[in-house]
Amino acid sequence: MNQKLAKKNRPKNLNLFTIRLPINALVSILHRATGCALFMILPVILLLLQWSLRSAEDWQLVLAFLHSPFIKLVLMGLAWAFFHHFFAGIRHLAMDVHWMTTLMKARYTSKVVMVLGLLATLVVSITLWL
Amino acid sequence: MWIELLTKRYPGMRAWLSQRLTGLAMALYSVLAAGRFFYLAPSDYAAWVDFFQPLWWRVLTMLFWLALTLHAWLGIRDVFKDYVPNDTLRSVLLKGLVILLWLYLAWAAYLLFA
Ligand code: HEM
Ligand code: HEM
Repeated sequence: MNQKLAKKNRPKNLNLFTIRLPINALVSILHRATGCALFMILPVILLLLQWSLRSAEDWQLVLAFLHSPFIKLVLMGLAWAFFHHFFAGIRHLAMDVHWMTTLMKARYTSKVVMVLGLLATLVVSITLWL
Repeated sequence: MWIELLTKRYPGMRAWLSQRLTGLAMALYSVLAAGRFFYLAPSDYAAWVDFFQPLWWRVLTMLFWLALTLHAWLGIRDVFKDYVPNDTLRSVLLKGLVILLWLYLAWAAYLLFA
């Protein structure tokens, strides 16, 4: 049979809900997603930095903006994105020097990464809303 | 020798190592920045300007942004390689990525030193 036809007849599974996602895979895909999210907010960060440093009035405006309830929710999301990428990145570095690389240990450090990310987000959230 | 792995003949190894080193650099800067922010707790405009006043801090921040530029380039490039099978589209996206990152880099330099 020709190769093109064989390629066409390959089974496809596009139903994401039928794919099992063990904790290591979850941490990994979230590391990618958060990396992309951090990349996408770069212009916003630069813009806010520029405005906040321009004049006392603009600084006030930026602060008021950051303290509005909806934006605080967004900041919580971004804080989580940063922390998850941060801790998952550290985990990457640890495994690159062959630390915690067996399956059971990797599962354990995945859980640690998830918990630390959420905890750090909680701490930032508390300072945000207090 | 393992050092040979870092020569031009193995670009993948260089990319891999660069991604780790820039990640590490950004991690260190982040902790330092958070600590400094917590310690100085800038609460008005003047204090905020002072936060960015010391030359060493601006140089460090610029180095952070350089690391970020390289890190984001390698990272997003990998994402495009994985998810954009069309060669033409991918090369357009990669060019756009490079242009964006250069713009951000210039913007950061302008903010810090102009
Ligand atoms: C290494 C990472 C970080 C550490 C260790 C950290 C630590 C802290 C600490 C200790 C405070 C309290 C300062 C104070 O009350 O005077 C604080 C405040 C704050 N953090 Fe972070 N932070 C980090 C990353 C982030 C990120 C990623 C965001 C947002 C996307 C963020 C947003 C804020 C804001 C807006 C405040 C001020 C809250 C307020 O005073 O209303 N931080 N951070
Ligand atoms: C805070 C310090 C950071 C550390 C320790 C860190 C660490 C890492 C590491 C080790 C990787 C390689 C993952 C792999 O090979 O699969 C990576 C990938 C990536 N990082 Fe970071 N990173 C940091 C900050 C950032 C920032 C600020 C951005 C956004 C501009 C970013 C965007 C990305 C992207 C897009 C990827 C590619 C994701 C993938 O291929 O799955 N990172 N990071």
